[in-house]
Amino acid sequence: MATPRISAYLPPDIDPTKAALAFGRRALPKLKEELQCPELLTQQRALMALCDLLHDPEKAYEAVALGFLDSLKTLLVHQDQTVRQKTTEALSVMALHSVGREGLIRSGVISALAGLLDDPVDICRKNTHQVFNMLAKLPEGAGGVLRAGLIPPLVLKLKTELDEIQELILDTLSNCLRVEVSEALAAGALTVLKEKLSHPSAAIRNKAAWVLLEISSHAEGKVAVCEEGAIPTLVRLLEDTEPEVQVNSAGALMFAIVTPQGRTSAMAAEAIPPLLALVAEETSKARLNAIKALTLLAELPEGRSTLLEHRDTFQRCLHDPSEAVQRAAEIAIAVIDWKP
Amino acid sequence: MVPARAPELTAPADLPYSFCSQPRSLASRPKYRKQSNAAETEKVPLHRCNIMIDPRVVRGNVLCARHPPESTEPSTREVKRQRRAQKQGLARRLTQEQIRTGTPEPVEGRQHVSVQTELYLEEISDRVIEVDGECQTDEFLDRPPTPLFIPAKTGKDVATQIEEGELFDFDIEVKPILEVLVGKTVEQALLEVMEEEELAQLWSHQRAFAELRNAEFAELQRLEEQDRRIREEKERRRLEHLEKLHKQKETAEKIAARAFAQRYLADLIPSVFNNLHDSGFFYDPIERDIETEFLPWLMSEVEETLQKKVLGRMMLDSLIRTVVEKRLDEFSHPPPPDQTETPAEEPRTTDAAPQVSDEADAADQPVEEEETDQPVEEEE
Repeated sequence: MATPRISAYLPPDIDPTKAALAFGRRALPKLKEELQCPELLTQQRALMALCDLLHDPEKAYEAVALGFLDSLKTLLVHQDQTVRQKTTEALSVMALHSVGREGLIRSGVISALAGLLDDPVDICRKNTHQVFNMLAKLPEGAGGVLRAGLIPPLVLKLKTELDEIQELILDTLSNCLRVEVSEALAAGALTVLKEKLSHPSAAIRNKAAWVLLEISSHAEGKVAVCEEGAIPTLVRLLEDTEPEVQVNSAGALMFAIVTPQGRTSAMAAEAIPPLLALVAEETSKARLNAIKALTLLAELPEGRSTLLEHRDTFQRCLHDPSEAVQRAAEIAIAVIDWKP
Repeated sequence: MVPARAPELTAPADLPYSFCSQPRSLASRPKYRKQSNAAETEKVPLHRCNIMIDPRVVRGNVLCARHPPESTEPSTREVKRQRRAQKQGLARRLTQEQIRTGTPEPVEGRQHVSVQTELYLEEISDRVIEVDGECQTDEFLDRPPTPLFIPAKTGKDVATQIEEGELFDFDIEVKPILEVLVGKTVEQALLEVMEEEELAQLWSHQRAFAELRNAEFAELQRLEEQDRRIREEKERRRLEHLEKLHKQKETAEKIAARAFAQRYLADLIPSVFNNLHDSGFFYDPIERDIETEFLPWLMSEVEETLQKKVLGRMMLDSLIRTVVEKRLDEFSHPPPPDQTETPAEEPRTTDAAPQVSDEADAADQPVEEEETDQPVEEEE
């Protein structure tokens, strides 16, 4: 019987590609049952509807509570590519929510996704890497990725994948390597990263420099970076056109030249002039990192002698709006003025 | 009937039900009481009937015509059981009859007759009158279906028709529907956009924190490195200093040892020379020569000379002796006119003898002295 009240829901069958949603609380349970249905069309339609629903945080929480993640895990190995694609998309959307991330880590989806790294369909791989990326931003997620032994395959994929996916991989790696670096070094990550530093795409250079930064924040990473001879490349990148790249390469240098060999190679590569240029620029974001790097170089006698002439640059930084930069400038001046 | 067991008011815990009197199966009673035992009541039911082996219970299909069970070939076990039961019953009955006192025997000339005293006499026989009756439903046909009830047509025929535009106006009515459609889509889109914005905010926040953290971390590492260098330097200097002290000590010891050795050995050469000198390693060759050759030769010559002298003297002695003996002989025989010669010769011989002995002594003494000198010199 027709009533004057119009429903707040979309009329049924408006989008034939999506399954019809049940009313209210029954929506997600019904979708879950449809996901397990043997008929392909039902599964696909249910997945399409699910992907749209999961953008809502409440629905995402409900989905995790209902145990959708296990059903999605079983669907990851389906033969049909649409099913796989939509499943990975649903997982990536779920990973955008905090409850979703926690649920993903708990239900061990990471190891299930590891099998999809070699999927022939691009979108599936992209979504997979997006999931890894989102998860790695959490400390537990990064730990989960490390524990699943995903670093060597990811490093290998860096050489062969598309650019977009490479960016995602580099992001994931940077977050994971903050925690532990030995596996990546064993897999030969530094050679790959050194190549990527000269990539035409600015985003890739930027992220590669960020990964190098994270690697060289560990002791064994520093040694490896010096041996690999990545410091001259980093010094060259200091003069890059993109400000982001400058920031990250200054940061990578800042960590890498803590070791004595790093310092000597940086002096040999004449790192001081570009770093000074970065410090002098008032609006550069790389100021902080550049000041730190110069502080390290000022501990060398020849560095100190060079920097004594440029002391006024640091004096100007003392009046910087950012507090961290002021502190760093003070420390730098103290180191430059130190007499044995 | 008095129940055989005491009533139990509460059931034990494991039984599913409770009872006041113990449940027991009822005995089989004959339909009519036995005449002879009308006054007595049975204390204990004699026959316990098991419904499973009661032959009166029909077994098998009850819906078809049954023939009476064949008693020509019953199973031996059944037969035995029946016979045993019969015998037991018989025995029991006999004992009961013996135990129980019946009615007294009739007086002579009289007879006991059983008589019915009810209002209406009834015929008593062992055999119960049975009448068979049966009934069977008639065979009926199925009820035919009810014919369709079509009431008689009454009233007037009326028709109606809805023209276009009379029910609703599409453009007005479609608006809310469209609003819902568009609204849902936009809502979904908004959700997604908000999500992305939220994430972008989070990441930028994280990024800022990461930068600060990295800067601090780098500072920390620099200070660590500095500290490590300073510590290493200190360690190295300390080791050097220790080395130096060690060397100094060694040198001092060496000097002391050297001084001591020098002092100790300063005496060495003179004492060695003295010893050698004393033991005669340094000799004057001429002296030695004289000592080894000349003096022995001299001594031997002296000895020879002395021997010669001694020999001469001995010869002289013997000559004198012979002469004296001869003279003695000569003088012993004749009285000697040479008596004055003999005392003169005797003092001469006695003088000669002491002179000879003095000379011999004198010669011996220098020889002895020389001989004693020689060994002394040789000692020296």
